[in-house]
Amino acid sequence: MSVSITSYLLVALILFCVGLYGALTKRNAVVVLISIELMLNAVNINLVAFSKYGLYPAVTGHIFSLFTMTVAAAEVAVALAILIALYRNKETVNVDEMDSMKR
Amino acid sequence: MDTLMQYAWLIPLFPLLAFIVIVSFGRQLKEGAAAVGILFTAVSFGLAVLTFWQRFQEGATDYKFSIDWLKVGDIVITMGFEINQLNALMLLIVTLVSLLVQIYSKGYMHGDERFPVFYQYLALFTFSMLGLVIAPNLLQIYIFWELVGVCSFLLVGYYYFKPEAKAAAKKAFIVTRIGDLGLFIGICLLFWWTGSFELSQIFDSIALGKLEPWMITLAAILIFVGAIGKSGQFPLHTWLPDAMEGPTPVSALIHAATMVAAGVYLVAATYPLFIASDAALNVVAYIGGFTAIFAASIGLTQKDIKRVLAYSTVSQLGYMMLALGVAGAAGYVAGTFHLMTHAFFKALLFLGAGSVIHAVHTQNVFEMGGLWKKMPITALTFLIGCLAIAGIFPFAGFWSKEAILGAVYEAHRYDLLFIAILAAFFTAFYMFRLFFLTFAGEARGKHEAHESPGVMTGPLLILALLAIVAGFINTPYAPVFGDWLLSGEVGTIIEDVFGAGEGHAAAWLQIAALGVSILGILLAWLMYGKRAIPSDAIPEAMPWLYQLSYRKYFVDEFYHYVVVVPLGWLGYLLNLFDKYIVDGLVSLIAKITRGIGALHGRAQNGQVQSYGAMVLFGLLLLIVAITLTAQGGGVLGIGQ
Amino acid sequence: MTGEFIAFFVLSLLTIGGAVFMISFTRVVHMVISLGITFISIAGLYVLLGAEFVGVAQVLVYSGAISILMLFGIMLTKHDASDEGTGNTWKNWLSLIFVAALFGLMFWGIQSSVWPAPPETAASDVSNVKQIGLDVFKRYVIPFELISVLLLVALVGAIIMAKKEGNKE
Repeated sequence: MSVSITSYLLVALILFCVGLYGALTKRNAVVVLISIELMLNAVNINLVAFSKYGLYPAVTGHIFSLFTMTVAAAEVAVALAILIALYRNKETVNVDEMDSMKR
Repeated sequence: MDTLMQYAWLIPLFPLLAFIVIVSFGRQLKEGAAAVGILFTAVSFGLAVLTFWQRFQEGATDYKFSIDWLKVGDIVITMGFEINQLNALMLLIVTLVSLLVQIYSKGYMHGDERFPVFYQYLALFTFSMLGLVIAPNLLQIYIFWELVGVCSFLLVGYYYFKPEAKAAAKKAFIVTRIGDLGLFIGICLLFWWTGSFELSQIFDSIALGKLEPWMITLAAILIFVGAIGKSGQFPLHTWLPDAMEGPTPVSALIHAATMVAAGVYLVAATYPLFIASDAALNVVAYIGGFTAIFAASIGLTQKDIKRVLAYSTVSQLGYMMLALGVAGAAGYVAGTFHLMTHAFFKALLFLGAGSVIHAVHTQNVFEMGGLWKKMPITALTFLIGCLAIAGIFPFAGFWSKEAILGAVYEAHRYDLLFIAILAAFFTAFYMFRLFFLTFAGEARGKHEAHESPGVMTGPLLILALLAIVAGFINTPYAPVFGDWLLSGEVGTIIEDVFGAGEGHAAAWLQIAALGVSILGILLAWLMYGKRAIPSDAIPEAMPWLYQLSYRKYFVDEFYHYVVVVPLGWLGYLLNLFDKYIVDGLVSLIAKITRGIGALHGRAQNGQVQSYGAMVLFGLLLLIVAITLTAQGGGVLGIGQ
Repeated sequence: MTGEFIAFFVLSLLTIGGAVFMISFTRVVHMVISLGITFISIAGLYVLLGAEFVGVAQVLVYSGAISILMLFGIMLTKHDASDEGTGNTWKNWLSLIFVAALFGLMFWGIQSSVWPAPPETAASDVSNVKQIGLDVFKRYVIPFELISVLLLVALVGAIIMAKKEGNKE
């Protein structure tokens, strides 16, 4: 018995939900960023899984997940730079204290 | 012949012009405002004299001018003016008294901060009264009637920083308002029934018998209710004594020529309406009679010099109403005649009282005394005024009062005659009580009294002269005035109904009236002049009677507890209703809205994660919605 | 019970377990370690799905670069890992409910959907890497070039932003 696509989708779903929960509840901005990476990874798993088990198997899914990784890397770099700049100014990385746009 | 009468509309216009000028340049004019007011009023007075003179010519016809003002369907409402005997007389009286009061005020109000404002009000007041007098239709009369009310409010409340003055102004306005409501309803009813505001057309409708008797009675009584309010007749008299809070020249103007005369004038001007209904005439007569005796009995005990005069005004107005109500031609002439003479001597008395108050700075007669030597002109003129109002031969009051008594006697109304004679006795007594307390004896107050300046004594002298001679125009032996007054249009109607009345008392009645007055004066002299009878004998013997009179029969208290307090409670309840039910509903809605807003505001807390949670919630809703609306198959329709 | 299934089971367990531990740990080092486990397990899943190149890239980019970057991020900001409080609790519960609802919905969707039968394992004569290389440089060459520009911009932007704003002084 081989592994069906639903299993992969399920793993990706759980990963996504865990990441989402983390992104919504954690106070530390770095942890929030990590949670977002988890969600991106869940999406990647889906892409790769569909590229093998989908209606039209092709390497397009692989290429897309590679692009996603690249974009995620860029995002993390910029996000951390912002965080460090923010930390330097406000002495905090807590998400619930970053509401200066509202004030 | 009638050329001058065509310009009679200029008479009210000049005081209006004065008003506008003083309003515009009052600050620059300062006390020069007096000059403006006096000058313009003098021009009016001159015109009024000319008009009156023309009316006095033989064969002068009534002049009436009107333009269409509003057209509503078939009904045309006109504006214009009318000159007849009564109008011309009133124009003369009003302009004369107003002129003298304005001259007098220049001295009396000297140094007052709001001097131009005072003249402003006086000019407007004069304008309103003159406009009222020449109005040919009820609508115009009503407009000016209300203007007079507003002006009296302004003038009575002139010292608005005094709470009593404020209260008195409000009282004057509200109490007369009750009467105005009656007048308004009366005018509306007349317009409804006759289709016109024009006095002459209304009289025609009555003459042609278009109106049912009950209609005439109702309309006449309603109009008389207006007159009750303005002329301070019995149920609504309470504002008039309180109106003494205004400056004294204003009191003179209100009491002599403008405000209170408006009521009598109204009854006289709509007299054909009244004579068409016996019931209405009786109401007028009995209310007038009752007011005459009632107010006179209050005047016996008052301590404030102006209050005594105020109650004497109420009493004298009652006299006029009595005369008007009692009998056609003679009563009409007598009432109008008394209105004229009363205007002169009451203005004289008030201005004299003002002169005294100006000198001693108190209004309590028990703090005056001994002013005869210090203020000879004032004292002399005041004495003339007292003699005139008491009805001593040959002063003006004698002739007019005697005309009233004669008219009542001729109509065989002996109950009213008795009341009138008793009121005459009271009048003589309290006027001379006032005179002796003020001018005779030795000074009781600590004050350095001195004679008033010429601008104040001048008008006094003129009025004193008039108070002496004005009566001679209508003596029983030469009733020039009566014949003249009855020669007009209204007079003709009256004569048609009643026939020409002789209107003058038999000799014994004249002597009796004179005797009663002299008796009153004598009693006053004994009690307050010579002090042969201790003045507190009656209060000690019958304290309840004294209290009843001194406290004005507790009418004010009665109104306070029967009308004011329950209305106050009603207002309080309505206020509570408004505050908690109406406002409560409104603020409930506002609070709900604000609550919802605050709820949403809390959602906008700047927390990225909250926003994320909300986005997630929205996403969930979207998914559920799409799933429910999808036509079968899985989520997003995959695999169909 | 094939070897593939056992490998999938173990890898997915590690992936999810690592993610859950990452969320629940409070100490920085533990978090980064569990994060690394998750990323490597995902790479294993990629290999299992026949995407060797993606798996290798995953190990290089995520397990290598991004984990280290995160570590630096944590170290450079605040590393007394005690303040990883949970914030206000009702918000957490609400988030948990929402996430659970999403999970339920998606789970139901996945289970109720009819998936195409897995195609017979196409014996690819061309290797995966070569195929990707061909596609990237032929069909997806423009996105590929754009991605390179994006990376450059991100690099420059990150440097500018993280740089100390001290040149003014």
